[in-house]
Order: sequence, then C-alpha cells, then structure tokens
Amino acid sequence: MQDVVNQVINTSFGWGWPSWAIALIGYLIVAAILFGIAPFQMLFLTLYERRAIARMQDRIGPNRVGPEGAFQPLADGVKIFTKEDIVPAAADQWVHFIAPCVVVAPTMFMFAVLPWGPGMVPVDMNLGLLFFFAISSVSAVGLMMAGWASSNKFALVGAMRAVAQMVSYEIPAVLSLLAIVMVTGSLSIVELINYQGGLFISTRDVASVPDWGLGWFIFSPVGFLAFIAFFIAALAEGERTPFDIPEADSEIVAGYMTEYSGMKFGLFYLAQYVLNFLLCAITSIIFFGGWQGPGVGWLYAQAITPANLQGDWIFNVLAGVLGVFYFLLKTYGFFFVMVWIRGAYARLRIDQLMDFGWKFLIPLTLVNIFSAAIWVGLTKWGAADGLAFVEGWSPLMRWAVAFAVTLILNLGAYLFLARIFAQSQDERTRQDDEVLEQLTNVA
Amino acid sequence: MTIEMQRGSVIVMDRRRGKLRAGQGLLQGLKVVWDHWAGSFRTNDNFSKIHGTFTVEYPDERLPMPQAYRNMPVLLFDDESGHELCTGCYQCQRICPPQVIHITQAKDPVTGKMVPAATEFIIEYDACMSCGFCAEVCPFDSIKMDHVYELSTADRVSLTMRKTQLNRPISYYTGIAPDLWAEAQAGAMKKLQGSIKRRPDVIGLAASLTEKIKARRLELAAAGQVAGGGGQEAGVAPAAPAAKLTPEEKAAKLAAMKAAKQAGGAPAPAEAPVELSPADAKAAKLAAIKAANAAKQAGAAPAEAPVELSPADAKAAKLAAIKAANAAKQAGAVPAPVEVPSTPLDAKAARLAAIKAANAAKQAAEQSNNE
Repeated sequence: MQDVVNQVINTSFGWGWPSWAIALIGYLIVAAILFGIAPFQMLFLTLYERRAIARMQDRIGPNRVGPEGAFQPLADGVKIFTKEDIVPAAADQWVHFIAPCVVVAPTMFMFAVLPWGPGMVPVDMNLGLLFFFAISSVSAVGLMMAGWASSNKFALVGAMRAVAQMVSYEIPAVLSLLAIVMVTGSLSIVELINYQGGLFISTRDVASVPDWGLGWFIFSPVGFLAFIAFFIAALAEGERTPFDIPEADSEIVAGYMTEYSGMKFGLFYLAQYVLNFLLCAITSIIFFGGWQGPGVGWLYAQAITPANLQGDWIFNVLAGVLGVFYFLLKTYGFFFVMVWIRGAYARLRIDQLMDFGWKFLIPLTLVNIFSAAIWVGLTKWGAADGLAFVEGWSPLMRWAVAFAVTLILNLGAYLFLARIFAQSQDERTRQDDEVLEQLTNVA
Repeated sequence: MTIEMQRGSVIVMDRRRGKLRAGQGLLQGLKVVWDHWAGSFRTNDNFSKIHGTFTVEYPDERLPMPQAYRNMPVLLFDDESGHELCTGCYQCQRICPPQVIHITQAKDPVTGKMVPAATEFIIEYDACMSCGFCAEVCPFDSIKMDHVYELSTADRVSLTMRKTQLNRPISYYTGIAPDLWAEAQAGAMKKLQGSIKRRPDVIGLAASLTEKIKARRLELAAAGQVAGGGGQEAGVAPAAPAAKLTPEEKAAKLAAMKAAKQAGGAPAPAEAPVELSPADAKAAKLAAIKAANAAKQAGAAPAEAPVELSPADAKAAKLAAIKAANAAKQAGAVPAPVEVPSTPLDAKAARLAAIKAANAAKQAAEQSNNE
C-alpha cells in the first residue's frame, strides 16, 4: 500500500512528501479497510452459522429479511443498537465499561499480521505467529474484567471458566504450532505460507516437485496431528461448542456476558465471531496453505513485485483475487466445520475439558514436537549436523523415510494415549461411583 | 433380536456397531449431522423419511386443513333459496360449555308466537373453546365448524359474531368438508325416510316451499344467464329477506288454525285475501273449510246434548252455541270484503267458504234458538 501511496503522491502529483507521512497514510488506509472488514465478517458469520445449523437440524433458518435472509444481520444490528444499555448498580462502572473494548481490541490487532493473498499482508512481521497468539491471549484479561466488574456470581464463574479454559488450551495450541515452526524454521506467517508450495510435498523439502500450491502441512503426519490438536484447541479458545463452557447458557446464564446488554453485549459477540474467523483463518494459513492453491503462484510470478518490477499489474489483480478466493474458501470451510461440530456434539464438563487438555492433547503435541524434530533431521540435516547416514539419499527418499517414521510415531502415540486416556476416564468414573456409594449407601 | 419373556417380548435393537475404537463414536456423530445437512436441501414431503426439510413457510404457504379440523362454529343457509337451516331450537345454546351462544327466537309479529327461525344468533368467538359440541348436537345440521384460523383483531368486541357474520352458504361448507357434508346429508335422508315410514301422509315438502324454490331457481338461472356464473355470489349475499318471509308464512298458517279452533271460520278468510300471496290464500281456504266443519259440529252437538249430558256439559254446549252465533253474526256482516281477491279462483273459494261458514252458523243459531 505504501508504494502505491508513494506513487500517487510523490510521482503523480510531485508533492515530495516525507517517507514517514507516506507510511502513516498507507497504514491508515489499510487499518480503515481492516476495521471495515472485521465487523462485516461478524455479520456474515452470524448469518452463515444460523443458516448452516438450521440445515443440520432440518430447518431453513432466517430467510425473511432480504434475499435468502441476507439482511438479517443488519436487522439484528439495528435491534441491538436500539436496546437499552443497563449497568448494574453494584457493578464496577469503569471496569464494566472498558471490558468489552479490551476484549474487542486484541481481535482487531490480530488482523495486522493476517495475509489475505500473495503480497497482501498489512505487516509482514518476522514474529507474526508469536504476535498473533500473544495478542489473542490478551482478551482473557477483558473477559476476567467483565466477569469481575459485573458483581454477579454467574458472570464471575463464567469468567473464571473462560480464563481457565483459554490458558489451558493455549498450551496445546502453541505446542502444535511449535512443531510447524520447527519445520519451517521461521515465525513469519508469510514465510509459513511460502513454504507450502508444491504438490502434496513441499518444494522446500523436495525441490523437484511441481509447484501447484498444494504442498500443505496437512499432508505430512506431523502437520496432520498438529492440525487436529490445534483445531481442537482453537475450538476451546474461540469458546465454540463442545467447549462453550464459559457461556454455558443452561448452567450460568451467559457467563461473563450475563450483565451486559445492548451494544456492549454486541461487542462481546463481535469479538467472539471475529476471533472465530481469525482462528479459522490461521488454521487455513498454517495447515492448508492460506492463499496457496493451483494457479496463484504462477500468476504472482508475473505480477509487479519487489523481485519482478517488470511485471504486469493485471497479474497482481488476478493473483490477489484468486489468492483471496482460496483463502476465504478454506476459512469459511473451517467455520463450517465449527458449525458442524456445534451441530453434532454436546458440551463438555469442566473437568472433562481439563482432563482432555492436560492429559491427552499436551502429551500428544509433545510427541508431535519429537516427530517434527525427526522430520527436520531426516529432510534437512546432513553429515555436518551429525547425520552421516542420510548422505547419498535422494531428497524424495529422505522425505519418504521421514514420512514413514513420523507416521508410525504419531499413530502409535495417538493409539497409546487414547487407550491410557480412556482407562483413566473409566477409573475416574469408577472412583466417583465408589464415593457416591459411600456417601449415599445406595449401590 | 427379540427376547421372549413371560409378560411379552423385549425388542433389542441391533445397531450393527461393534466395539467403537477411540474417536470412532465422534466421527459417527459427525456423519449423522452431515447426512442431515446434505439431505436438508431436498424437501421431506412424506413424514416417514428422516432427512429433508419439511418446513411450511406459513404466511406464504399453508397446509391443507383436514376436513374434520374445527376452529369456530358458523351457520349454514341454502344457496338457492337463502333458507337458513337454523330453527332456533336452543340445543347449541344449552350444550355450549363456555356459554358463548346466544339465540333470539323469531316471533310472529301479529300473534307473538314463536316461529322456527332465529332473528339473531350471537357467538362470542373470543371465549369459544372450539369444542364442536354445538355442531355435534345441532339436529338440523345448521351449525358447523369452520376452518378459518386467522381471527386476530385489535379489540375483543369485534370477535362477537352476529348472525350476518356467521352465515355461510352450504356450498362453502361442502368446499371445505365435502365428506362430512355428505355424511350429514345421508343422516338427514335416513331420518326423513324413517319419518315417512312412520307417518306416510304427513311428511313431504310443503307446497309453498316447492314453489318458492322453483321461482328462486328460475331467478338464479336468469341471473346466471345475465351475469354468467355469478350464481354463487348471489347465493351468498341474501339471507335476510328469506328469513322474513318464512315466519310470516308460518304466522299466517298459525292464525288460520287459531281461527278454525275458535269456530269462527269466517274472519280469517275474510282478512287474508287482502294482502297475502297465493300460498296464504290456500291456507285461508283450508282454514275456512276447517271453520265450516267446526261450525257444523258445533251445530250438531247441542241438539243431542240434553238427552244424555250432565248440566255442566249442557252449559258448555250452550256457551259454544252462543259463541257460534256471535261468530255467525260477524260472518254475516263480513262477506263484502271477500270481494277484494288477489286471484279469482282463490277469491271464489274463499267466498264459498265464507258462505258455507255463514250458513252453518245460521243453522247452529236456529237450532239453539229453537231449543
């Protein structure tokens, strides 16, 4: 964006503005676009979720407002804006007021490092992934503020649950990402996407593979296990069913949102749906190549880029459109999976949630990090790094051996842990029953 | 698989699932939901199917109501003659559990006697509980349950339905519930046949009605030729005029019978021809004949009376004779107005009847004088 602004102001008009002004204008424009896009995503996703879940329940869903219910989110928005804003007398007024902002702001920050298409990233940070997940944890503070300031026991319980859940599930999420970061050797999200060119095998692993934009991490055992673990953790972070414990309406009204009404409640909702969008987007970026897909790489190679200044601008447009199309297709596909899971599964109990996170997902992701290390060693290291026996193997051979070893390791770890976990759950149930018997004298 | 037990059998469902491996149950759950999602793009028109959307988008689409669906009661009238089936028998008002039916019985304006028709019929729809007892109990198939369910109003009072709002042509009811109407017709026919068997000479369509229906049919046919199929609307609209005619007619008959009873046959035929239709003239003729008969009898009775009757009877006979004489005197004064006839034939007959009555009265008077 800055080069475009520079072109318009300094070259076309010849005003000769300083570079900091150009940068400021460029960032402002990008920020304005993103702040427009974020609520739009929320509006679209609410309609999308309601229509999809209705179909799963053999209903039709909202279809009265506009064609196929397209303006339903606007109607909801008008309704929520015109509602009375109620603040409880016992609430901590300022904290109660600020909490929604603290929840919404991080989700907006996260857009800063999100690549939409080839060359379409607001800021290409070399710590992009770290920034993304560090910022996403900040919203837990906002949730705790909301629950505490409401001075309502349901709100407080909901906030406690939300924080406990977010903190516990950030560990498996980050550990599963760590495996991917080990493979790519970079924390930059753009670099992560660039790594995933190729056809089922990344071109960085085996250079002779044709670049169809399909060298996604999901096609490797390490990436697959990381994807499963990360997506489950993402469901928990986004407070989606079956992990919607913080706002379990049948138990604690609406969790930390209980004492909020009108647009403050709307902001929590906005934050939640934007966060869900971002989690789906980051899942599709990390494991499904983001904008990578057949044709995008070829189009982008002929576009105007810092590497290729002689390109044609039409290819910029074509590559951008196709890349964004692939990216949104994958993202909304993952959101569909979220809705699908919501349609299928019941809510977990808080102890089940914690057991699953700490006793199953974290060991599994730790094993996956071990697999990732083996993968990196077999595909990238040589005699200089102490792996003399791989010398003389072709890249494809090295990739195949790495694939087989990590597959066996991961599959074995999954089956072993699943059995252990099931046994521990059975044992727990048995103990619970025993305690119940002792307490009640009823067998 | 079925397990036999002493008290019957227990059916155990075989779901064709072995032991689930870790995570397999979750995938099966997802499969179920996916099948519903994929199937929901087809409509589920028969409810034995599991998949498919069966939503009826109500304001745009409506389910056809079953014939026996009942919402609120309405009153029926005959399309052709406009004749209301309700006779005001109060059966529905009596049985109505929330007591929302209110009937005003039609009365003859001259005599004040009740007539088998209702001048006003009110149902409070706001308190009606749609039980259908009124339709079940109605002996004339006049009150039936309607299918209309969109009855919302801004105020309670507009749910108090009067007779004009309740009246529906029979064709409307046959439209919504043809089988039920056929059943009602069959029941009525059976009842009629039973009545004919029991009282063969009495039962039959009144001559007056036959003519009226014929006339109305001609009128409708003419209207149909002119308007070309506007017949039903013509049938729907008028109900009031027919309702007025029926009681009058009945009143005339009643008046005639009363006259006959009083053995003063003359007055009725004398007054009747002035204003009444052929049907009334006939009734008047009948009344005149009856009066004559009565007068004859009255004349015959006193002659024999002293022979065998007790003093009380003799007194009664004397009284009757006096009355007859008075009647005869009146009759003697009257014959002049008889000359204002509507139809020559009926006038003649009426005059004849009057003369006969007068003669009979004279005879009776002479006899009583002789005594």
